[in-house]
Amino acid sequence: MAHLPRRTHSILLILSIQICFSTIFAVFGSVFQEEFSEELLLKPLPDRKVLAHFHFETTAPPLSTSHGRHHHLFPKAIAQLVRKFHVKEMELSFTQGRWNYDRWGGFDPISSSNAKPPGVELWAVFDVPKDQVDASWKNLTHTLSGLFCASINFLESSTTYSAHEWGFHPSSGGLRYGTLPREAVCTENLTPWLKLLPCRDKAGLSALLDRPSIYRGFYHSQRLHLTSSEFHSSGVESGIVLEQALTVVLQHNSHKMSKTFSSETKLQPSWSLSSIFGRKVTGRCVLAKTSNVYLQLERGLVTELENLQKDNMITGPDHVGSGGLKDNPGFELSVRPEKIFNEVNSLHRKSSSVLYEYSIERYSVFEPFDLGLTWKFPVVWSCPQAPLHSSRFLMGSGNQRGTIAISFISTGLEEGFLSANIGEESCKLQADIFQVVPWYIKVYYHTLRVFVDGQPEAITNVVEKMHVSPSEDKVSPGVMELVLKFPCAVKSAALTLEFDKGFLHIDEYPPDANQGFDIPSAVIIFPNFQTSMHYLEDNSSNKSPMLSKFQEKSPVLSYTEVLLVPLTTPDFSMPYNVITITCTVFALYFGSLLNVLRRRVGEEERILKNSASKKAGRLPQLLSRLSAKLRGKEWEPPQSPSTSSSFISSKLILKVLIVAGVAVFWQYYSE
Amino acid sequence: MAEISEEPPNPIPPQPQPQPQHTHQPSESTIRKAKPGLKRLTLTLSVLVSFIFAFPFLYKSVEIHRAPLPFREIDSLSSQIGSSNNHPSLSFPCHFQAIFVNFNNSNAETLEPLIFDELTKLTSNATSQCSTLSVKLVNSGPIWSLIGAVDFGGDDESVDEALAGVLGGEKVYSVVVVKGESEEVKGVVGKNRHGWVVGRVSEVEAAERVAEMFVKVFVNGGKEEGFIHGEFMPVGADGRIVLSFNLLNSNPHDWVYDWDFQAIDDTLLAPIIKALGPVANISVESQVLYHTPKSSFSFWDDKRKGYIFSTKDLPFFVNSNEWHLDTSIAAGGRSKILQFVVYVPSAKECPLLLQLPNGEISKTNGFISPMWGGVIVWNPQGCLMDSESQHPIRQTISHQDLQKVFEVFMGQFRQLFGLKSDNLYFGSSGTYSLLASEKGFSEWELDFLARRHTCFNLHSCATTLGSLSRLVQSLPRMIIMDEIGKQVKYSLEAANLAQRNASLGLYDASAVSSRQARSLAEDAFFHPSIMSVSYYSFEHCFAVYSPFFLPVSMHVLLAALREWRRYKIENRKYLAWKAEVKNNS
Repeated sequence: MAHLPRRTHSILLILSIQICFSTIFAVFGSVFQEEFSEELLLKPLPDRKVLAHFHFETTAPPLSTSHGRHHHLFPKAIAQLVRKFHVKEMELSFTQGRWNYDRWGGFDPISSSNAKPPGVELWAVFDVPKDQVDASWKNLTHTLSGLFCASINFLESSTTYSAHEWGFHPSSGGLRYGTLPREAVCTENLTPWLKLLPCRDKAGLSALLDRPSIYRGFYHSQRLHLTSSEFHSSGVESGIVLEQALTVVLQHNSHKMSKTFSSETKLQPSWSLSSIFGRKVTGRCVLAKTSNVYLQLERGLVTELENLQKDNMITGPDHVGSGGLKDNPGFELSVRPEKIFNEVNSLHRKSSSVLYEYSIERYSVFEPFDLGLTWKFPVVWSCPQAPLHSSRFLMGSGNQRGTIAISFISTGLEEGFLSANIGEESCKLQADIFQVVPWYIKVYYHTLRVFVDGQPEAITNVVEKMHVSPSEDKVSPGVMELVLKFPCAVKSAALTLEFDKGFLHIDEYPPDANQGFDIPSAVIIFPNFQTSMHYLEDNSSNKSPMLSKFQEKSPVLSYTEVLLVPLTTPDFSMPYNVITITCTVFALYFGSLLNVLRRRVGEEERILKNSASKKAGRLPQLLSRLSAKLRGKEWEPPQSPSTSSSFISSKLILKVLIVAGVAVFWQYYSE
Repeated sequence: MAEISEEPPNPIPPQPQPQPQHTHQPSESTIRKAKPGLKRLTLTLSVLVSFIFAFPFLYKSVEIHRAPLPFREIDSLSSQIGSSNNHPSLSFPCHFQAIFVNFNNSNAETLEPLIFDELTKLTSNATSQCSTLSVKLVNSGPIWSLIGAVDFGGDDESVDEALAGVLGGEKVYSVVVVKGESEEVKGVVGKNRHGWVVGRVSEVEAAERVAEMFVKVFVNGGKEEGFIHGEFMPVGADGRIVLSFNLLNSNPHDWVYDWDFQAIDDTLLAPIIKALGPVANISVESQVLYHTPKSSFSFWDDKRKGYIFSTKDLPFFVNSNEWHLDTSIAAGGRSKILQFVVYVPSAKECPLLLQLPNGEISKTNGFISPMWGGVIVWNPQGCLMDSESQHPIRQTISHQDLQKVFEVFMGQFRQLFGLKSDNLYFGSSGTYSLLASEKGFSEWELDFLARRHTCFNLHSCATTLGSLSRLVQSLPRMIIMDEIGKQVKYSLEAANLAQRNASLGLYDASAVSSRQARSLAEDAFFHPSIMSVSYYSFEHCFAVYSPFFLPVSMHVLLAALREWRRYKIENRKYLAWKAEVKNNS
């Protein structure tokens, strides 16, 4: 017995230490692992507007450490939702307005992951067996609809969502995607969204969200993205990460702008937080781990400013400093930044964008934070663009047919970049298209035609891969996933697809059917172009979640316009009309059949003969009687027997005519 | 063509005798030699008859699918359960035994009628769930001798344990009366189904006390009359309760408190949830909320060194705008959510104290709202704020404090269930102390709850099914799915099972099946097909079918009428001719 315990002893020791550590970890984990951070990124845009991008991130530890029913910071509703529907990943966005890819950029993390199609977009990946995914999706849409006061429950119908293969987001089958282009987004959707933040809009950066000023903006998109790794059987467990982002494009109050216009047209308007939001930051949310404001200057702007600096250097040589843009001549900041980051970029040797960081921990109600930017010299710059500018439109007229066209125009800015990027002789530019079309737009996928630089091109030359699931009437929408490869030197390209407009059942028309029907935005992805902004940070432990999000490599992505297709709308009292006319026709048929059955042909003929032997036929007799009555004279039965034969013949002719008329009518309408 | 058939029937006699066509000379056209044919008359009449006979078939074919509901059984259940909740006709058998120690044997005969008298006196004026009371007096036997060995001089806990060892296991309520030396008569109700009275008591007094303990405590749960009504039953229609615990930091700029709820859940709540299993299916969740000021005012009181809010401010205390005590997604649609709120006041209203109507400060510093939950104000120790640091760190409420808070919660929870929150019962014959169980509810209280819930559930099930049957009968054109019929059937079965179990004295089983009956009845009543626009009105039916049936019935009726008239005229003519022939001959 003596020799045995040694090993067991050590094992026990290790075990006990492990247990100790794990319990300590669990205790600390369950209490302190739920974290929250708030960040705001401000960015001047070339067209005199300002982009404000709020980024809130809440994380919950995985289920194994916390028992999942007790929450300290993480919103209970979201955690319950994730657990109930086994959501692996989900993104919900509410957007108003359209992101202007030309002016506001299309090649940076904000535009490719935060620019969203108008209305509601929802996609979710479920970690359930394949046959239960649809049921989970339906339940999820209903729950979200209740949670966010929106009609997301319309996405429940199988005609509104799609399950695609690889076009939009790579996943293994459990993904569903749906959009509601016509959903109006307003403050009733923002309030529940804010309710998920621990400080709501009572303190911290979210207190800036003054409803009138953010809804007055040009673009407004609130997004909720969550990833959970709770149901992964393997791999690192990171718990639930809830990322809430609000992107707004604002312009500061216009009455001031008119003045600047009159004095100096070229000068960008100066702005401050209080002028664009109408509020100031009065302190951080005390529960946030990090609470920072960033000001980002784009590459183009930095280049312009450096040029300006060079000019200044020529005039005044005492400004020779290695401080970069620290004391630049182009603009002035009302608050001195705490840190300045330069973008690490190997591809752009010319210049890189600059980020100013402000930590708002030291600001309070008595000393509010109000960042202002005053331009000193007029600066003109442009934003980085996606390699191709895409737009989508409808061709054709009438209520029967039409054509969807997607056109690409090369932005030309990235040509050098392109050649540098691939550097091969057969340089190809890849673009993926993902498009969902409702079933009443019956797209003929075989009519796909491709034009490159205005010339028709064989499909096989351009389309690398294609996956089409045609729509099924009243069951599923049509989904098209395409991989296109254009030559790098392409100037413009276009795709056309013909379609027929279908008929809906009378119940399926929305209340305002005459307004037309929306075709959701198509998604254009450039998988060879990755947006990632890597800023040179000091190796501090608390890395900003937003900047690490920017660092993630994601393909450049843009959405096209929503199309409005007018469909023929019926007279909505039609069913009753149809019922009435059918019933009347049946009744007529039935009645005449009965009368024919009751007829006594022999008797009638005898009457006719009798009357013919005595007097004229009935019709002329009636006519003469009528005319006599009209003339007010006493009627005398005509005595001439010759009329009878003419009457019989006229009646016969009349019958023949009626039969012929019916036949013609039948012939005409049965075709 | 039509005009020919529509012209009035011209009776044309076959003889070549010339005559005017018009009917205003009937005397000349009243002769018919042949018997009038029946072909057309039978044809039109058969069409009419077939129409009349086909009508029920048509009505059947346009009839809406209605699952047959057992209306008679629903009515019989309603009449069995009784219309009023206060006088349930449901009967539970309860068995009592009274054990007298140190009494002379000769007293047994006198004691028994005494106790019965007292019992009938108490049950006659009060409503009681137990209709059949059986009382057994134990004067001898093994139990009696074992009881004799129990030392009643010890503290209550040990006596209780000892008695539990002797009496435990049986579903019989027992009271042990020990004639002792002490002047002070002590009555204690234990954690299980027994109580004891120790002291110098006479027979009459003992009988009074025993009867009171039976009726008021064991049967009626020791609750005050009319404290919380029976209809305030905090169990959801699907038999589930979600206990949602919320820690509200009124102003996190002053201080931020967190709690380790997991520990509480594991140690304190789990046994309670298990004990209440037959009554309700309980789940627990918790969250911490911030920036949640109360919406009522409080004022500073110099004497008490605190901010006072009084009971008349309570309706405004809960700030539904800022307190986002969400409904739970995890809970089903008809679960009951009980919100329990720990309110941490901000620095400018700390300490916050609740003043009772009599001017005193509440010891628990909390209040309940029936069917909603409870609120406790928890003041941080000393109300000291770190003034130098702007950003407070998150502190955790200490385990001792949390335990205290949970004791109050337990009391509130018991009150929400209609039980007493303190452990003293003041009866007419004396004061009884009720021993508190570590499970939160003692055995006899659980029995009481099970009985009460059975009554309530069955009553609610009967009323729901009754209103469903009334609704269904009042709307004859409403679609009723088969599923509803099935649910109603199962609900009735479960209700009957609950009644049977109740009459056998199986409280827990009857509570479970009555819960099932109620939830099925509610499911049937709130079935989505009933809720949706499923009413296909008779007017609609008429509008759809009248364009066909109105003209067709006109044709059929007129044709039949005309043929009948013509036949009559012709027949008369034929008969006249026949008579003429006869006369002529």
